[in-house]
Amino acid sequence: MTGETYLTANEITKTYGDVTAVSEVSLDVPSDAVTGFIGPNGSGKTTLLRILLGVERPTSGTVSYSGPDAERQLGYLPQRPTFRPGFSVRETAAFYADLVDDDPDRLLERVGLEEVASRPVSGLSGGMTRLLGIAQALAGDPPIVMLDEPASGLDPAMSRLIFDIIESIADAGRAVVLCSHELPLVEETADRLVVLESGRLVRTGSVESLREQTGGPLHETFTALLEQDRATIAAPEGEQA
Amino acid sequence: MTEGNWFWTVFVREVRSAVRTRTYLALGLVTGTVLFGLAYAGGGPAGGYVPTVVDTLVAVEVLVPTLAFAVGYRAIADPATRGELDILDTYPLSTWSYVGGVYAGRALLLLTIVVVPLLALGINVATTAGPETTVFASHRGVDSPFLFIRFIALTVLYALSSLTIAFLLSALAGSRGRALVLALAGLLVLTVGSDLAVFAALDTGVTTGTLGGALAMTPAGAYRGLVFDQVLYVAVPGRSAFVPTWVAALSLLFWWGLTFVGAMLATDAA
Repeated sequence: MTGETYLTANEITKTYGDVTAVSEVSLDVPSDAVTGFIGPNGSGKTTLLRILLGVERPTSGTVSYSGPDAERQLGYLPQRPTFRPGFSVRETAAFYADLVDDDPDRLLERVGLEEVASRPVSGLSGGMTRLLGIAQALAGDPPIVMLDEPASGLDPAMSRLIFDIIESIADAGRAVVLCSHELPLVEETADRLVVLESGRLVRTGSVESLREQTGGPLHETFTALLEQDRATIAAPEGEQA
Repeated sequence: MTEGNWFWTVFVREVRSAVRTRTYLALGLVTGTVLFGLAYAGGGPAGGYVPTVVDTLVAVEVLVPTLAFAVGYRAIADPATRGELDILDTYPLSTWSYVGGVYAGRALLLLTIVVVPLLALGINVATTAGPETTVFASHRGVDSPFLFIRFIALTVLYALSSLTIAFLLSALAGSRGRALVLALAGLLVLTVGSDLAVFAALDTGVTTGTLGGALAMTPAGAYRGLVFDQVLYVAVPGRSAFVPTWVAALSLLFWWGLTFVGAMLATDAA
């Protein structure tokens, strides 16, 4: 892990009318590491990820890229990747690979889909569709790869496989950012955690440092942190610990 | 990679997708059947090119935007709904390359559906009409295959303008359901509403002197006016256009350019 910062978010706020989805979040995304965004549903993980990607504009704050020069700086796996029907797995990979002069077969091999390259995308299982989405996210070798719920709704074996691939992506020198509710897998894979609640960044640090605060596994740490945070919010001014 | 490469990649995918969709083949067959049916019901092919244009003009005026909307109403709404536009935002692909590639692919499909039956009809006229239709007109009052070629060329311009309008509405829709509703509303405005609006404006400023210019401002009115001026009245001595020709031609180009730029901006914002 070189610790080099590839992406910096500064005081990001995103509001939709009266609703604040993300509130004054600042963070760095380091290279050679997996950064996991965790938090309850509606905590702003996906919105923050999309702002970091640049597909959504923040209401205020800035995001700056400081990674190496690349034709494609960021790769993205959306929460529910859907591909254009009527095309095979290889044709789909080739479309994205052609946009950045990459080799579709290399991308399919990278995620283990070479055996089903001729299968239509509509005939893929949920897990295979997710793998094809990761292959697409890797097209053009982007220095940063962002994955939104890469294993939600998948069986344990497929979830394990996807998190193994994610680990290998970071081992290859990229910065990986992921949102996930699969806490045991995140605990094993992530080097750094960002805990969000109600759009605010509650804590950030390594899995170990967060675990030290409660002494239990990540899901207990996660629950304890959120409870602490809720108690702080609920306590009247001057009575906070 | 260059803009040209990106455009080509997107264009090739659109064409492949069109070739694999049997619904479009059915659309082409229906279009051919309708055009030949109307032409033969009116007896046009036996009379020559201009009578064939007379028999089919009203149908073409409605059929072309209908086909354009059928081909284009989901062109941008579908990838937006699938999340494909968000993914493509992370690629070094310009909006121009993407919208241009999708548009070019679908335009090729639309023109195949429209032009192939019209060309077949023209060939049918050439083989069934009287000997005078083989004359290449050099002056007014003579039927000619050139007039039919002009009719096809103007229909191509009308089809391309209708398709960009469909693209703009598709980019504004944001969902498949809304895309369908907007397409139906847009089609109604394009085929009927715009003419009605011009005639309604006769009470509020449009005079009989400016009516031709006002009609030429709408895509359907401009197309109809150009066909009358450049095709039908050429074969009828003493008749002149009911819309100013240059206004009608600029109007179609304006609608094409304006809605194409609008579609790009709306895709960028989607």
